[in-house]
Amino acid sequence: MISIGGRLTIWPDRCRGCRSCQMACSFTKTLEYNPSASYIILERDLETEKTAPMIKSLRCDLCGGNPACAAACSYKAITFEPNWESGSCE
Amino acid sequence: MTRPIDRTWFVDLTRSQVHVEERTYDEVADVLGGSGFGWRIVANRLPSGIDPFSPENMIVLNPGTLVGTRVMGASKLTAITKFPTVASADHRYYVGSCTSGGRYFAIGMRQAGCDRLVIQGKASEPVILAIRDGGLSIEPAGDLWGKGIDEVSRTLIEQEGQDAGVLVIGTAGEKLVRSALTIIDRTNSLGRGGLGAVFGSKNVKAVVAHGTGSIRVADPIGYNQIADELCERAMTWPRREHWIKLGLAAGWSTFKHTQNPGMWEKESWDKLYGEEKRLESLRAVIACASCPLNCRLRWVLPGGEFDGEQGLGSPYSKSATSGQLLGIEDDRKMIHLVTEANSYTGIDFYTTTRLIDFVTRMAERGRIPAEQDGITLARDYPTYQRLYTMTANREGLGDILADGWYRVQEELGLDPSEYWYAGVCKGVDFIYDARPSRFHPLMMTFLTRPRPHHGGSHTRTNSRGKTLEEIRDQAAHWGLSDEVMDRIFLETDYSGKFNVGRYTAYMEDLMRVKNAIGLCTIYTYQALIFADDMARLYSAAVGEQINARELIRRGERVSNLAKMINVRDGFSRADDQPPDVWFRPMEAPEGRIEMEDYYQTKTLHREDLAHMLDDYYEERGWDKTSGHPTPEKLAALGLSI
Repeated sequence: MISIGGRLTIWPDRCRGCRSCQMACSFTKTLEYNPSASYIILERDLETEKTAPMIKSLRCDLCGGNPACAAACSYKAITFEPNWESGSCE
Repeated sequence: MTRPIDRTWFVDLTRSQVHVEERTYDEVADVLGGSGFGWRIVANRLPSGIDPFSPENMIVLNPGTLVGTRVMGASKLTAITKFPTVASADHRYYVGSCTSGGRYFAIGMRQAGCDRLVIQGKASEPVILAIRDGGLSIEPAGDLWGKGIDEVSRTLIEQEGQDAGVLVIGTAGEKLVRSALTIIDRTNSLGRGGLGAVFGSKNVKAVVAHGTGSIRVADPIGYNQIADELCERAMTWPRREHWIKLGLAAGWSTFKHTQNPGMWEKESWDKLYGEEKRLESLRAVIACASCPLNCRLRWVLPGGEFDGEQGLGSPYSKSATSGQLLGIEDDRKMIHLVTEANSYTGIDFYTTTRLIDFVTRMAERGRIPAEQDGITLARDYPTYQRLYTMTANREGLGDILADGWYRVQEELGLDPSEYWYAGVCKGVDFIYDARPSRFHPLMMTFLTRPRPHHGGSHTRTNSRGKTLEEIRDQAAHWGLSDEVMDRIFLETDYSGKFNVGRYTAYMEDLMRVKNAIGLCTIYTYQALIFADDMARLYSAAVGEQINARELIRRGERVSNLAKMINVRDGFSRADDQPPDVWFRPMEAPEGRIEMEDYYQTKTLHREDLAHMLDDYYEERGWDKTSGHPTPEKLAALGLSI
């Protein structure tokens, strides 16, 4: 969970591995698509091919309050609540 | 606005040499880059008349032009090669293309700066090809040669890093089994009809793709807006919830009518292999890159002798049809065989099953001796298991089955035209049968494409029961003139309410477009992306404004290139013939099923299909007698092959 002006939540069980979050992240930063340069690592379990997003939290600035990864995730594995205040709920 | 550069990497395995050819996009744009330009390379550099297993054969791997961007469905890789399937009694071989999605491989190629890989020659020992940022390296396969697909895939990913893409052949590809395919990223199959065997003939066990560079489009803001708009369509698609729950396992309601061998009562089949049954083993649905629908599957078998066995891919349709053909009621037994094919041997499950069905039933009927080299042919599961293994290993009778339908004819005296399900054309058994499916345009492409598989041609017409308005609305996005549309949607007494022959010509051209740009066929099958959307995407990606009509015109250019390459190798209209079995009624428990037109207005006969083929060639501007593109047509398209 990251909470800089809102709450970004990862729901690993929902991830289907499409990498849209990585592409959206890199595009927002550079106007180019590059999963390797995004602030998201998609952890891949080779036993099951299950993937789960992990945010490089020290680098992520939540795209200034409208995180592209959450908007791009079709499976709601990354969600964002813009008006969340730290400590108000969990 | 920066226009992309097109880079083709060439590797000559005989000489261990690699070189890169770089082109401006203008130089590849007339065939849409991607696999379109791959076809041009094949047209210019692949000698005609060669054996598919000779070092002169080439494999061209082409990620689509849009692959690696955040456009839904843009995950596709197209491979072009001369396939080793024996395609005629006089042993000709077609040059064809095959496509597959994936999560890592095609993107990894593009990120490394490889828009296309051309593999020629033959390595002196088994090798792995590695596509990385610094270029291509040829590395010893070592003890990976001889191992199964999934073990090799995992080993390579563990060595290279979790974002590495892998394309791997199985043991059947190593042994040159002519149906053997490849598996990409562990979940997607590529190249039934022998792409895996061509890799094996070159001593290439696997290709790894792992780049870290950026993928650029000419108009990033405009492109991204279109991507968002299209994604919204998928997100609001009424069937999405069902689809993302089941992936490709969701197709049963359509599939049970179209791929039904007609041996069991449909209700029994439903209970044994239907959606409820699939849910017992389905554990997860996995997406290809940028896909909001997802269709790849992970399953774990519950109970029985294969309890706990896991697999990846899409086993349900294959196992359901094959289970009925072989009379195996326990779906887990059939899924186990699919798992072995996907994760170990890489044999094509459709072809191998049908050959096994053919020879065991012919032995039962006394047409061939039950005692064959290395096995007694019986209609039971242990015999089938043994035959799959013998085929993959080329042992005994399996060596004959490994060479396909014409070798079975030569060695056992069984004519492929006698086979009772789906039919065989150019040495390939179709995955659908035109009788339960009805004669829809995709069945036509099985006849007219150089490689008789759908190749990603789907439109709304591939499901039964679509209204004429729905079919026409989708075609209206192709940018065709009113005159052409009127020809396509003119009712005739041989084709029904629309002209399948003329429709198919443009559907195939659209397929060439999808393959060149790398767009999954599911999105045209479900009418979520239209041809004019593709034109907008392509324009924004490469910085050249073109409309749908021009896009399809360029697809037509690729169709003509592909056809001419095969004309050079002796193919003609005589090879595009419908299989005899389509004209023999299927005697199903619910009654006789004859091949009918899409709206079931009449039974189709040979002369009806001949008429549709006439219309297809005429619409293409090809000679109706030979089925060859005319010099005038080639000149009009600017082709000099």
